[in-house]
Amino acid sequence: MYPYRIYQKTASVHAFPASQSKDLYMLGVPRPSRLVFGRDKPYNGLMESGILFRLVRGAVVASICATVSACSTSLVVNADFPVPLVDPLPVRVGFLFDETFSTYAHEEKIPQQASYSIQIGEANVSLLSQLFTSMFVAAEPVVTLPLESAEQGRLDAVIKPELERFEFDVPIQRTDQFVEVWMQYQLRLYETDGQLIAEWPVTGYGKAEHGNRGAALNRAAVVAMREVGAEISTEFSAQPAVEYWLEEKQNESALSSDAGRNN
Amino acid sequence: MNRHCLQTLAAITSTRAQALAAALAVSILAGCSVTSRMEPYKRTEAVISEGEQVVVLARKHHATHETEAAFVECVAGALASGSNGLEVHDTVAFEDQLYPWFEPSRAPLSTDELSELLEKPDVFERVQGSGVRFLVWLDGSTDRVASGGGITCAAGVGGAGCMGLAWWEDDARYDATVWDIQELSSTGTIYADFRGRSTLPAIVIPIPLIARPRAAACRGMTEQLRNFLTSPTSYIPGPDLQ
Repeated sequence: MYPYRIYQKTASVHAFPASQSKDLYMLGVPRPSRLVFGRDKPYNGLMESGILFRLVRGAVVASICATVSACSTSLVVNADFPVPLVDPLPVRVGFLFDETFSTYAHEEKIPQQASYSIQIGEANVSLLSQLFTSMFVAAEPVVTLPLESAEQGRLDAVIKPELERFEFDVPIQRTDQFVEVWMQYQLRLYETDGQLIAEWPVTGYGKAEHGNRGAALNRAAVVAMREVGAEISTEFSAQPAVEYWLEEKQNESALSSDAGRNN
Repeated sequence: MNRHCLQTLAAITSTRAQALAAALAVSILAGCSVTSRMEPYKRTEAVISEGEQVVVLARKHHATHETEAAFVECVAGALASGSNGLEVHDTVAFEDQLYPWFEPSRAPLSTDELSELLEKPDVFERVQGSGVRFLVWLDGSTDRVASGGGITCAAGVGGAGCMGLAWWEDDARYDATVWDIQELSSTGTIYADFRGRSTLPAIVIPIPLIARPRAAACRGMTEQLRNFLTSPTSYIPGPDLQ
């Protein structure tokens, strides 16, 4: 068993492994955001060491937020994702990004703190379209499922991703060093006629040193998305249902090439 | 007593009517210092040759801490600078070129895993193409390990001021593990522990006397790494920080 440390995010309580080695979230266990109960880490920052800083900071934050009525952060997640260095799988796939996915925005208001609006849709499309194009011998965007007959002949399957959960934590105190982001995607692989072949949840966790709130959130989100991309590009073919389907496809193509030779 | 503390003391004593502040500063300067401990261990005689590069990477898979990006940049920048600067490959560019194999959840944790990784199609060619021979894995962080004291401030019609003394102690603890891609082996490890105590006396105005153990750790680690990568066995003494 792992030793656990208790973390809390608003109403729900989660347990994190305090292990120094590979963590549970690396093994696919969803990792929640956290607000630390009590003091998890010692003081950080010069001014924080004095009462002066706390008094001034409290007064400034309270007066500003009271005046403006709410502090808000609006962010469009922005990154250039690298092309994965993986061998393309010998299948032709279509990828279907619905509107919810390609315009995904996370809105959250944290009571007595701030409200956040985080636009992830563009980054979703950028990450996964590049990823799928590199992962398969052929990949192209599609707009409907089941596919039209012309597309059915051209493609072997369709992948439809969904961003199911997005959570983040921005430290309240300067003693918390990291902004953290946790995301869970659901990847569904369909036959071209719309029949589900496989379903696979993929999680990503990222953290970034706390500095500028928006920039740190962006960095943490990008790290989490890169993790998602890493998981998909290296583990997709190892999913049991996908592995079975790939074998079937290989057998089919072997049979059809044999038949071609015999004719 | 480090240079920054001395400069601060000079600034304090240069103004008039602050004899009390100077006296207090003298009494607390003993606390504004950095103590260091470095333990280099090299197990091979491999050295970097002309045309070969080194890349500095951070271990990011821990839940509890992560090596600061600023520390990685500091070490990489310092290794590359100076008349005897090494050829240092850009960290982000290396991670991007080899994406996804050096992401936190995929990065090799041992040289055995590195050898398995280099057997993958295209990965070895990409690493060779980058010109990188040595990977330096930085692990550790700078943490506040103790703090105390307090400062009280008050304001009135006639003015405002603070009185008191606060102090804190930071511990910069890092290790650098050097892997030789050519030999597929670990060349050795450098362990650095720099502890600095800072004080903030306030007599009317707060006067920060800051110790910077992370910066000192960066300098110390860089000197040792440079020697590690260029000299088969010998080491220079650690930095004089007292």
